[in-house]
Amino acid sequence: MERPLLLKHLSLRMGILVSIVMLMSACGKAPSGNAADFDQPYPPTTGGTLIDATIGEPSGLIPMIAGEAAASAVASNIFNSLLKYDKNLELQGELAKSWSVSPDQKTITFKLKPGLKWADGKPLSSADVLFTWKLVTDDNTRTPYGADYKLVILAETPDATTFRVSYANPYAPALDSWAGLQILPEHLLKGQDINTTAFRFKPVGSHYYKLEEWKPGERISLVRNPNSTQGPPRIDRLVSRFIPDPAAQFLELLADNIDSMTLNPIQYSRIVPSREDLQKKLALYKELGNNYTYLGFNLKHKPFDDIRVRQAINYAIDKQELIDGVLLGLGEPVSSPYKPGTRWTNPDLSPYPYDPNKAIALMQAAGYTGRDKEGYLLRDGKRLSFDILTNQNKQREMSAVLVQRRLKEIGIEAHVRVMEWASFIGRFIKTGDFDVVLLGWGLSLDPDQYSIWHSSQQAPGQFNFIGYNNPRVDKLLEQGRLELNPDKRMKIYHEFASILLADSPIVYLYTGYGLPAIHKRVKGIDNPAPPAGIGYNSYDWYIPPPLRRNEISQ
Amino acid sequence: MIRYLLKRLFWMVPLLVGISLVSFLIMHLAPGDITNTEASFNPKASEESRQKLRELYNLDKPVIVQYGLWLKRMVKLDFGTSFASHQRPVFWETKDAEGNVIKGMIQEALPITLLINVLSLGLIIFAAVPLGVVSAVTQNRPPDRAITLFVFIGFAIPGFWLALMLMYWTGVVHDWLPISGIHDKMSAWGQMWDTLTHLALPVFISGLSGLAGISLFIRNGMLDVLHQDYITTARAKGLAENTVVYRHALRNAMLPLITILGLAIPGLIGGSVIAESIFAIPGMGKLFYDAVLMRDFPVIMGILTIGSALTLLGNLIADIAYAWADPRVRRGVM
Repeated sequence: MERPLLLKHLSLRMGILVSIVMLMSACGKAPSGNAADFDQPYPPTTGGTLIDATIGEPSGLIPMIAGEAAASAVASNIFNSLLKYDKNLELQGELAKSWSVSPDQKTITFKLKPGLKWADGKPLSSADVLFTWKLVTDDNTRTPYGADYKLVILAETPDATTFRVSYANPYAPALDSWAGLQILPEHLLKGQDINTTAFRFKPVGSHYYKLEEWKPGERISLVRNPNSTQGPPRIDRLVSRFIPDPAAQFLELLADNIDSMTLNPIQYSRIVPSREDLQKKLALYKELGNNYTYLGFNLKHKPFDDIRVRQAINYAIDKQELIDGVLLGLGEPVSSPYKPGTRWTNPDLSPYPYDPNKAIALMQAAGYTGRDKEGYLLRDGKRLSFDILTNQNKQREMSAVLVQRRLKEIGIEAHVRVMEWASFIGRFIKTGDFDVVLLGWGLSLDPDQYSIWHSSQQAPGQFNFIGYNNPRVDKLLEQGRLELNPDKRMKIYHEFASILLADSPIVYLYTGYGLPAIHKRVKGIDNPAPPAGIGYNSYDWYIPPPLRRNEISQ
Repeated sequence: MIRYLLKRLFWMVPLLVGISLVSFLIMHLAPGDITNTEASFNPKASEESRQKLRELYNLDKPVIVQYGLWLKRMVKLDFGTSFASHQRPVFWETKDAEGNVIKGMIQEALPITLLINVLSLGLIIFAAVPLGVVSAVTQNRPPDRAITLFVFIGFAIPGFWLALMLMYWTGVVHDWLPISGIHDKMSAWGQMWDTLTHLALPVFISGLSGLAGISLFIRNGMLDVLHQDYITTARAKGLAENTVVYRHALRNAMLPLITILGLAIPGLIGGSVIAESIFAIPGMGKLFYDAVLMRDFPVIMGILTIGSALTLLGNLIADIAYAWADPRVRRGVM
């Protein structure tokens, strides 16, 4: 319990220290066992164990209740949804063979694949889907994710392979929501309290793997499910070790005790390339990031209600500098809230260029005509001075400092304030008591951004906390929810993104790449990664027998 | 003696209630609750559902009512279930109708933390007593200077840094010790050795930083005692120097150590969040730190209550031990 708040800072310092030692150290460990050539091609085989590391331990394996990233990472190998996203992030059936939308766009009918089974051999039918829907919408279920499913006014199962849901109004994000709901077995959960059932520690699913053993505080191991609804995977066993410290994870990777982890930019572009022994055994991948970092203005506070001030700040910030400085170049600028290169991203948009002169001109147009002794812009004798609030996240803190410096150059005074997350949200975001925040939003797969940008979503605790209000955007967001045709929807969201960029209620800073490193003994991984990331075909990965590590004796 | 004990134990009850009330209020002073932690800052999680959760957890009620509800459960020694960890019992395991046992969070974290702390406390005493004695006997001469320098380096060196360097040296460069975790092999006979090798580095690191305090304590205690008349008497009657130092001086110099050890008892259940994170040890420090970040109130209160009860007990045990060891105090107390 000593000095807990220093932890984040320490872990950065640790990262740097470890990096230094790695760079200096000339004496690497001799390769353990046989010095295999990991680059040699091998034909696909089955078997073997893949060991990875996660920062947190799942609190349970019922994803709708556990909610944290560690739980969904494990649960996604155990449970299926009706739909899934394919390698190009288009929707595809998972348990569903096909789905159809009625002409009035209010009813969706899913046809399940025939002969589906749970891992325990019992049949999986539409009754299980209905049961899961009832669970997630039940008022006693302690989940924050029920809202999408409560819009369903009628859910029915005409037969064992058909599941039909009807909405009062067409609801375009519905399909995405059915890709997010993992189906649970009715025969094991019926009559149990979903919040406390022991099922959460011994789940039975229908996906590639089933739970083999869970050692609390240490590891979870999954083993191939012979009844998998999606066919057999090639690798026999997946082990996730819980290692909370990223520096310790990296040491385990170096010592060959784990096969994969997500690197940080320093490890990715400085340490691994500088060491021949690591290059021999590690393959590095680069995936599209899942979120973007932004600088958001409180539009209810002066002078941020003035579009010229917002645009001036946007022009004053050098996004490439942030990407080079914070991410060591391993990121991309964004100009819409969608993954770059996917259909929802408007290809005609580009970020505000770095142009300090234009920024100063805009500030002067907004009334900041004077300058004080220290060079700060003045309006009515007062500086534009504000706090940039952010939470304890090293990349965000570094970004805030770079932004602060660029703003100072054009004569705006910014202070950086870093806070612990729950205090930040409770004290500043919920109360609306902030000027500028530096935060991130997810790059969601469904383009619906109603809850973030619609003017009706500004109450405390809702997500339009910056107070964005544009009638045209409201209209587009409403239309986008009603339109299930992807091409028509795409046009709506392209227009939405271009208005949002012009209005500049936030400054898009960057999206960082995901940087997985995987031991070269694992074959069959797509490189370069498709839009969905390398994990989309993990069932096709394989570990050739000569390259396997000596299996741990049981 | 019995009367004294009963009196002390009786007064612990109002003290504990007071401590828990203050802890509860301070905990609620921090803004935010379980419904606005990072994981739930997700546009898919609606404010209505979060409000519903707040009601389910009674977080919408006034703080003092929440405290009342908590106290009501505590009277029955019911520590409740965690908000953040899937309703797991905070303290001890529960069994459901079908015989599935769900382990308590403190129950799982406590043994490993206790083991590490007891081992490192043992290491500290084992090393600090001889170091302190040698230091005192050779006061201001090279051995004393060398020992003081060494223990201060151990105290000043950042534990996380040394930990990472040693992990790299003993785990990556040489394959001597495992890097993190507490078990690798599942086989029963290897388990003991396996656990010991996993614990070697964490125990060493936490022992090193604690060495300075205790060894200097012993050194100063010894110096005091060595200048007293009865030591001069002992020397004068021709006793060997070793007998003077170890039989006559050391026993008296150890007395204050009892107080320190009594105060160390509550510390035994508190782990270091930094060390536990680096070594991937699922102990109490990490449990508490995560609970604070998640605003997992039942877990925070559970750990604080057990911690304060142990502190009070530790004080009591220290007083009793002191009385047992020192006749002067005994006469005053009983």
